[in-house]
Amino acid sequence: MALFPISSHFHGDFVLKLVPVDTENTMDEVAIAAAEHSVGVHVPDQPGKVIRARKQGASEPFPRTMILADTGLEPTDTVEFYYSEA
Amino acid sequence: MALLERSEWYDLARATEWTPTYITMDELFPPEHSGGVGLPDDVWAAYDEPYKVSFREYVDVQRQKDEGAYSVKAALERSDLYNKADPGWISILKEHYAAVALVEYGAALQESRFARWNKAPGMRNMATFGMLDEMRHGQIQLYFPHEYINKDRQFEWSHQTMWSNNWVALGARHYFDDIMMTRDSVETSIYANFAFETGFTNLQFIGLSGDAANAGDFTFSKLIQSIQSDEARHAQLGTPLLQMLIENGQKDKAQNHIDVSFWRSYRLFTILSGIPMDYYVPLDVRESSFKEFMEEWIVTQFIKSIEDLGLEKPWYWDIFMADLDEHHHGQHLGTYSWRPTLWWDPAAGVSPEERDWLEEKYPGWNDTFGKVWDVIIDNMVNGRMDKTVPGTLPMVCNLSQLPIVGTPGKTLKDISIVHGDRKYHFASEVDKWIFQQNPERYRHHKNLIDRFLGGDIQPANLDGVLEYMGLGVIGPGGDDVHNYAWLDAYRKIELAG
Repeated sequence: MALFPISSHFHGDFVLKLVPVDTENTMDEVAIAAAEHSVGVHVPDQPGKVIRARKQGASEPFPRTMILADTGLEPTDTVEFYYSEA
Repeated sequence: MALLERSEWYDLARATEWTPTYITMDELFPPEHSGGVGLPDDVWAAYDEPYKVSFREYVDVQRQKDEGAYSVKAALERSDLYNKADPGWISILKEHYAAVALVEYGAALQESRFARWNKAPGMRNMATFGMLDEMRHGQIQLYFPHEYINKDRQFEWSHQTMWSNNWVALGARHYFDDIMMTRDSVETSIYANFAFETGFTNLQFIGLSGDAANAGDFTFSKLIQSIQSDEARHAQLGTPLLQMLIENGQKDKAQNHIDVSFWRSYRLFTILSGIPMDYYVPLDVRESSFKEFMEEWIVTQFIKSIEDLGLEKPWYWDIFMADLDEHHHGQHLGTYSWRPTLWWDPAAGVSPEERDWLEEKYPGWNDTFGKVWDVIIDNMVNGRMDKTVPGTLPMVCNLSQLPIVGTPGKTLKDISIVHGDRKYHFASEVDKWIFQQNPERYRHHKNLIDRFLGGDIQPANLDGVLEYMGLGVIGPGGDDVHNYAWLDAYRKIELAG
């Protein structure tokens, strides 16, 4: 376990945000951490949808259960978070 | 005793030159300070300043300027501007004085280095007056806000900001150290005098003086006019040097200097001018948008001035033009959202009427930046104030030192590179390009996030960050300058269902 800072680009937000997460977090848990600083703060909530995460510029999201340490992300890399039906 | 006409002695005085015999020319004018490597020795005497002034004339004119500004201040001191002006205007004063006053003393050092190191005697002569100009600007812009300190402690930042690690101060110091304090006299005169002063300061002060008069602040208007008239003179110092570079086979170098300095100056002005012009100046006295101002004064006039020299628009011109529509809106949302980190109280500037104005000036604003404001307003109207101040920090550009912002849903993007053992983040391709022009110049500097992650800020939380910046130490941080009165219109809309 290790503290791991990411740069969060939550779609609909106007600024990249520093979000502390943990290397053992799943990408769902990382998304929850990012949402805490954007959803209901600068981005409206979309109840019923899930938040997916992908590396900036990637076409596909990370699997929701993937552990952060397995993603290949480096500290302060930018992750895009966006609402999805599933 | 009759005095000679200036024309009878001026050229002799301005061209008077040292002839060293015990030391070499390089010892008298060390190249790392003087600059202009590769320029022939005989070009320096040909430096021709566009403004001619003698010391006697200079002192007389400056005395008149000071008399005018100080007289207006004395006459209006009892008019209670502080309580009568729109609070948004007071915030502009706080932002301006803290960001500008001490930098003027830095500029005095810059000009004194020209007076000593530049190899053109004409420039050394003019830089002496420029040095005196900047001392006056520093003194007057520390003295005028001093009268407000007993009304509002945020005015103490006029004296303190540049000694602090406030995030705006970090950005401003990085910029001014780059363009004004750490280059040789030829480069500095192009970066600071030509690009920054001619391109931005001189013109921005014209706009600010008009806004001040419209807001009823004739003291500030007179102050700014007296400074601008100095800038109009010494801002010209760099132009003859640009001509010398171009005429002596260094056109590419001249173009590069313009390309770097123009962008760096523009980015800082999005904070100093962009935000106040479009959000703080009361709507009923607002004359033009930041974009309109930039298009008239910078796009048209500054570009004409470089094209007259035979140079071209910077390569990133399309990026710059698109940026005029968005960057300062993002920085305004950021400064307002993180308002406890400011030394002034920001004006939201997004009442329904103001939003109509923004939409007219920046079509599409309501569907992009306005959507973010909708969330903030909803929280405020429904009493969720804790949700209106973010619980973390923004990512910060390693070149501009400003938060990395973009148009929501469109242009927000991180541009990063790895250099040496560090990853650097940039807010634009231009910021990255400037870093890559000279990574040795920039690579050691740590932005606010680097310091936070590196453990320089303790405790490593928002309270620690605020204390690191001097908030609550030097003076109180920011809160809504209108005490959220602008929300009344939205409360009525909410009640009406």
